[in-house]
Amino acid sequence: MHRILERMQSDLLDAVGLAITVHDKRHDEHPSVLADLGAGADFVDAQLAGIGGPVPDALAYQVPVLSLDLWTDDRWPELTLAAMRDRAPQHESSWEQVHGAVAVPGVWADDATVVVCCTLSQPAGAATVASLINYEQLVSAALITTAAENATAIADIITVLQSRGAIEQAKGALMGLVRCDAEHAWKMLRRGSQEFNVKLRELAVALVEHISGAPAEQPDTGAPITPDERTREAARLMWAALSETPLPQ
Amino acid sequence: MTSSQFQLSAAEAEQPPVVTAMGDIDLANVNEFSDVLTRAAADSDAITVDLSDVTYCDSAAVRALFAVAATTKLGLIVPATGTIMTLLTISGLDRVATVTTRD
Repeated sequence: MHRILERMQSDLLDAVGLAITVHDKRHDEHPSVLADLGAGADFVDAQLAGIGGPVPDALAYQVPVLSLDLWTDDRWPELTLAAMRDRAPQHESSWEQVHGAVAVPGVWADDATVVVCCTLSQPAGAATVASLINYEQLVSAALITTAAENATAIADIITVLQSRGAIEQAKGALMGLVRCDAEHAWKMLRRGSQEFNVKLRELAVALVEHISGAPAEQPDTGAPITPDERTREAARLMWAALSETPLPQ
Repeated sequence: MTSSQFQLSAAEAEQPPVVTAMGDIDLANVNEFSDVLTRAAADSDAITVDLSDVTYCDSAAVRALFAVAATTKLGLIVPATGTIMTLLTISGLDRVATVTTRD
């Protein structure tokens, strides 16, 4: 995906930020950013958090969306330079450069959509849309191939994107408990979620809350993750089992 | 659908060629629509597309119109209200094409 974005960047000379957003409705997920360049992810997250913008519109209506001047576009009155400065001041210089933007949606599986978007230092034109339509086809093809090779791979990626905070916390706790590396901790989480038949991100949240007795980090966008009693029980059992395992000497 | 659904009338005097579309434009016939647009734009730097009698059009048609607008000055004739106008506004196609509304 990053390679595709790099090609887009060399193609679109005025690009300030680029992002690929996926929305897999089969897993009842919220849209999340799969890959980005420049300030792409912060730009998309802000729009999805309720400010509105070309990306949520492209997702909702499934049409390409073009803006000549994003910050003054009357379709998204809340999407302004000031709002972006407040949300992501670290990208202030990027926000100041941005004029146009384009978002192009595509469908790569039943109920699974993708939006390729870019922000430009110039007003966007129909040529930008035409170019992004080509790249959207490339991205969709790549997603279809990945999904065909490994059906769970994409669901996993999305899970991590959705709840990076809680999953990182849970991995950190497991690494400390079992003295293993991050990859091993990730495998334990996945195995736990499969064995107990609970959602991985809910298990991660339940684990963190079980260990710390405090609320886990919640995703920036979308609904908060609240594990049910079964998941909490799975986290308790998993933690207890691992705690009893003698440490490798 | 027969090809008469999309009609191309050649440029006259100072007027650019006009593509007149009718009925539904969807995935089934969007390639045909696209071909007519490309042919119209081939030897003119401006074209007009009359969508007044289009009963339905979706994302596929919007994509085709963006594609032709990338290389040609695009004029659109659309009903003043209804889904086509809404699609143009949502997509921002109305910002890169010259839109004339017809009641």
